[in-house]
Amino acid sequence: MLPKKNAPSNLGALLNKKDTVIAILMIALIGFLWFETTEFEKVPDLFSNNIPPEMFPQILLIIILGMILIIPFEHIFLKKNGKNIDSGRDKPIERSTIGTMVILSTIVASSQILGAAITIIAISIALPIYWGEKRLKVLIPYIIGFPLFVIILFNIVLGVHFEPGLLALIKN
Amino acid sequence: MEDVAKGLGLLLEFENIVLILSGVLIGVLVGALPGLSSPMAIALLIPFTISLDPVAAISMMAALYCAGTFGGSITAILINAPGAPPAVATALDGYPMAKNGEPGRALGLAAVSSVFGGVFSLIIFIFAAPLLAQLALEFGPAEYFGLAVFALSMLASMSGKSSLRNLISGLVGVLIGTIGIHLTTGVERFTFGSPDLEEGIHFVPVLIGLFAVSELFKQSEKLNNVVERIQAKALKLPSLLELKKLKYTILRSSGIGTFIGILPAEGSTVAAIIGYNEARRWSKNKDQFGKGSPEGIVGPEAANNAAAGGAMVPTLALGIPGSGSTALILAALIMHGFRPGPYLISETPEFVYAIFGAMLIANLGFLFIGLIGAKFFSLVAFIPKKLLWPAVFIFSMIGSYSFASSMFDVWVMLAAGLVGYFMDRNGFSAAPLVMGLILGKLVEESFSQSMIIHDNNFFALLESPVVLLFFVLTFLSLSSPFWVKFFTKKAVSK
Repeated sequence: MLPKKNAPSNLGALLNKKDTVIAILMIALIGFLWFETTEFEKVPDLFSNNIPPEMFPQILLIIILGMILIIPFEHIFLKKNGKNIDSGRDKPIERSTIGTMVILSTIVASSQILGAAITIIAISIALPIYWGEKRLKVLIPYIIGFPLFVIILFNIVLGVHFEPGLLALIKN
Repeated sequence: MEDVAKGLGLLLEFENIVLILSGVLIGVLVGALPGLSSPMAIALLIPFTISLDPVAAISMMAALYCAGTFGGSITAILINAPGAPPAVATALDGYPMAKNGEPGRALGLAAVSSVFGGVFSLIIFIFAAPLLAQLALEFGPAEYFGLAVFALSMLASMSGKSSLRNLISGLVGVLIGTIGIHLTTGVERFTFGSPDLEEGIHFVPVLIGLFAVSELFKQSEKLNNVVERIQAKALKLPSLLELKKLKYTILRSSGIGTFIGILPAEGSTVAAIIGYNEARRWSKNKDQFGKGSPEGIVGPEAANNAAAGGAMVPTLALGIPGSGSTALILAALIMHGFRPGPYLISETPEFVYAIFGAMLIANLGFLFIGLIGAKFFSLVAFIPKKLLWPAVFIFSMIGSYSFASSMFDVWVMLAAGLVGYFMDRNGFSAAPLVMGLILGKLVEESFSQSMIIHDNNFFALLESPVVLLFFVLTFLSLSSPFWVKFFTKKAVSK
């Protein structure tokens, strides 16, 4: 009976939980991409010189899959070399990082409506304030000066096209 | 000689010199700012230099690359925070020397040894690159395939937590390179019906996302880190007597750095660490290491700058990048319509000599800039992160957008940033992915052509001794953790 009881904990020691999750996610992705390769348009052998378009991606997917299967067990080899794969991820992701991701994704999502100039100003305001910059003496010149510098440099001097967005509506 | 003169003629235009010096200035700045890096700056620069003349654009990036390596040592010495990974070993003795009241001397030793290492590797570059290119001209698709496989296998030994994860990153990069229309058959691959994906994923937004945006997410975790700074009024050049004492260390490290730089995928960081270890091993004053030893500064500095020059050899001669930064320079060359590799040197030697000249100017430029601006550069590390990183994101957005005036690219950049952040958290490095992405086309093209030539018989590839050699090297590279361990154990037991 004893070995049966010990079995799950032994397996638990062999597998790194986080890496197992990563491996499962990547295997699922590989499965999806493999399916996608089977949906590529079929080309006659003569036209494709016997190298069909799905051949190379499929070879890559097989090699990647083979490597991913080792990932959950890799921590054992790394530990022997004095490396800890969990060292960077033992703490949960900081709230400030998640907030930064959300803010930037929201700004990028709304940038087509806002237009380039307002987007630049929004980033210059939102990120420093979210990160806790409270010194108005520093913040106000930055919020005014930096976007102005960027617009002059890229739009006027370098000729990068900036979508007007909301500014066009205001003008009209 | 005629080609050298032509190259210098291309380079020595006022606009080009200004751009090279701007590249040096940006390089030293980003090198001095912890978190910012040369690959990130080059990635941000690519979209804005697309409209420039290729000589000017590539020279500017090459100058930035050289100067960025030196810039990292400024903060390593003055605040014990390497501005760039290659300066990690410099901090070990640079910071103690600065703490002992000699920050100017530490900076001077770092600058002079960096210049020496850089110029040494450029001399090797000027001889080795044409020779290597001459050799590579004999290569057919099979040999190129062998070379590309070897280069991919070298990704395993790039810095990072795990060789296996580096290889996976590299192969994922190659896989991303297959997105878009297949050149041979015209079939759409992994486009999911989106017209934006038909051309494939553009390099620029991926590079910016992986290097700049993911770093922004990482930096958002440590916004309130406070560092202690040592005042440096000026950079103090070492005396001739001191240089005489250090000449063997500088020479040895320059050789080590150049050799490591030439190896595909081995970067300046590895060179600097080996340079430091070798300086210590050969030193008569081993006990001084860690306490401000001059050899502990010149060893890694000569090596990391020499590696920067060395890495340009396979990049230009073979089209195989020697490091993350040179992978970006390679991407820029492709975007400017060049095919990096032996034909670049045989058909446009003047262009290669112009890049060589730009790197030479850059090496002398950062010594000059370091001499007059050490105090200023020691201050830039104190630009508040809360203001610096929003600016980096704005530059990233504009850079990604302006490349093809496409909002889709901005989304790609953001997605690459998020993926890069989670990759890094889980031990997957971004640099191998970028190198895989850039090498991807070469790998697939050479594989397909070889298969067609050899009638789909993979084993027929092994009939070529060069392919066989590359495959043996690939095997040795992939199995190196085992045999290095075996030989180390044997040496220890003796």
